[in-house]
Amino acid sequence: MSTLVTRNHAIIEAWVTNGARVLDLGCGDGTLLDALIRRKKINGLGVEIDQDKIIACLKKGICVHQTDIDQGLSNLDDMSFDYVVLNATLQAIHKPYKVIDEMLRVGRFAIISISNFGYVQNRLHVLSHGRVSEHIRFAGDWHDTPVIRFVSITEFMRSLTDMGITMTDARYFLPFGRISIHPPLKDLLVKEALFRLRRG
Amino acid sequence: MERTLSSTEILHVDRPFKLDCGETLPDLDIAYELYGTPSDDNVILIEHALSGDAHAAFYQSGEEKPGWWDAMIGPGKAFDTDRYCIVCSNVLGGCKGTTGPASTNPATGKPYGLDFPPISIRDMVDVQRTLLTHLGIEKLKCIAGGSMGGMQAMQFFCDYSKLCASFISIASSLKHSAQQIAFNEVGRRAIMADPRWNEGRYYDQVSPEAGLSVARMIGHITYMSENLMQEKFGRSRKDRNTTNIFRPSFEIEHYLDYQGIAFVKRFDANSYLYITNAIDNFDLLTSISSSGRTRGVGRGRGDIQDMRPKKGLVITFTSDWLYPPSQGREIVKFFNALNVQTSYTQINTEHGHDAFLTDVGIQTKIIRGFLNSM
Repeated sequence: MSTLVTRNHAIIEAWVTNGARVLDLGCGDGTLLDALIRRKKINGLGVEIDQDKIIACLKKGICVHQTDIDQGLSNLDDMSFDYVVLNATLQAIHKPYKVIDEMLRVGRFAIISISNFGYVQNRLHVLSHGRVSEHIRFAGDWHDTPVIRFVSITEFMRSLTDMGITMTDARYFLPFGRISIHPPLKDLLVKEALFRLRRG
Repeated sequence: MERTLSSTEILHVDRPFKLDCGETLPDLDIAYELYGTPSDDNVILIEHALSGDAHAAFYQSGEEKPGWWDAMIGPGKAFDTDRYCIVCSNVLGGCKGTTGPASTNPATGKPYGLDFPPISIRDMVDVQRTLLTHLGIEKLKCIAGGSMGGMQAMQFFCDYSKLCASFISIASSLKHSAQQIAFNEVGRRAIMADPRWNEGRYYDQVSPEAGLSVARMIGHITYMSENLMQEKFGRSRKDRNTTNIFRPSFEIEHYLDYQGIAFVKRFDANSYLYITNAIDNFDLLTSISSSGRTRGVGRGRGDIQDMRPKKGLVITFTSDWLYPPSQGREIVKFFNALNVQTSYTQINTEHGHDAFLTDVGIQTKIIRGFLNSM
């Protein structure tokens, strides 16, 4: 989990331009924003629901709002950010369409990571065990896992088309730590993907 | 444990003080307490709420209870006196040492009463600016307060932004809603309906205790959440008086009665009228954008734009229905629009508006985290 996150962070850091305004939804303890503030001189804002993580952000001097992302971002103005990040959080969102729509209302680009449910190992696990793996559920039981959304790469891309959203860049994470820009058999071989999106 | 002692000092300002309303006070007393030695980056100004005073922390000699925010101010506490120098003063219009309607009017030699001019939150912070100048303090690390204290913190931060690095606003609002004004108005009417109030001229007689205690009872209802009140008192009774069925019988009636009586011993009815009036008229946006801003240091729109590296922290409480979280989010939006990096946190509690005084543990973590990062 932690290596996945840092790997995503490195890619996000490469995508974000110097001095940009960055909103991180589900920012956790503020690790990503902290790195971006130090290395990219960004103007950052985090959104987080957990009180302890809010305190961790405040300790780092990161500006943070305690808000439930599912309640919308009504406190934020249109186009007030260059990048809006949703990293490792989409699978816990109740209303993904609404949230993605809000991300591209308040920001020019959305950066979203997804875990591909179609990945071959997930398929095999369901086939052999008759249920999703604990890895997918973040170790939670079926009734208390925060992970409530299971989406495959193709499904997610179709949703983007439905919403009139264009993918401007993508990174696909394959087994053995390999990263690809145009992988074969996406739905089967990709474990996780990171997209940079914009409206239209 | 040995008690740290504190004492309230009085600064007498022997020159006219011009108010927002255009009138002038011929002179001014400012009651304050100071914990620590001020330097360029260690001073935190604490602002009190409606019924507070300058005595924010520690014990005055012979006192049973410490200052009103002692749980939050002291060594190792949220506002750590080992690291910061803390200043707190009684507000203008108050009755705990700073000039207010109970003070003697030099023109007549009698208490002001209703001759005291109307005051605003801006006037309160102007008085504090005067105090800081006297103390030789030119920079504030933070300015913090709850409820009306939050209003003053925000007003001070906007009016004297060059002085302040940050503000903390707890359970407060940019302006009162109709409901908030309504509760204050009922309190004021209770005082004015008491015949002993006598148009504010009661200082040589018995004060309007009945009216003021009813005002305080209303206040206490709004400071508590419905759930907490139910849990604490429910329908339990202290006693059942058969000769007079309208004497307090339910526990909640006794509680409010007690709070009302305790309050009249320490508070002036006219101060209650003047201060609640200032709270109701407070409107931060109007106040910082009005063209009539001619007094004081650093007033004017230009100064507001100078806010980029500054920080704010807004704290609300889930069960606070007097100053609901929605008003806290409005504050965040307001200051973000001014480019002040303003964080927002909402504490999950059943303690209602009073939580800013009672929920010490979580607020300590939040505030220490915020202050440490600067």
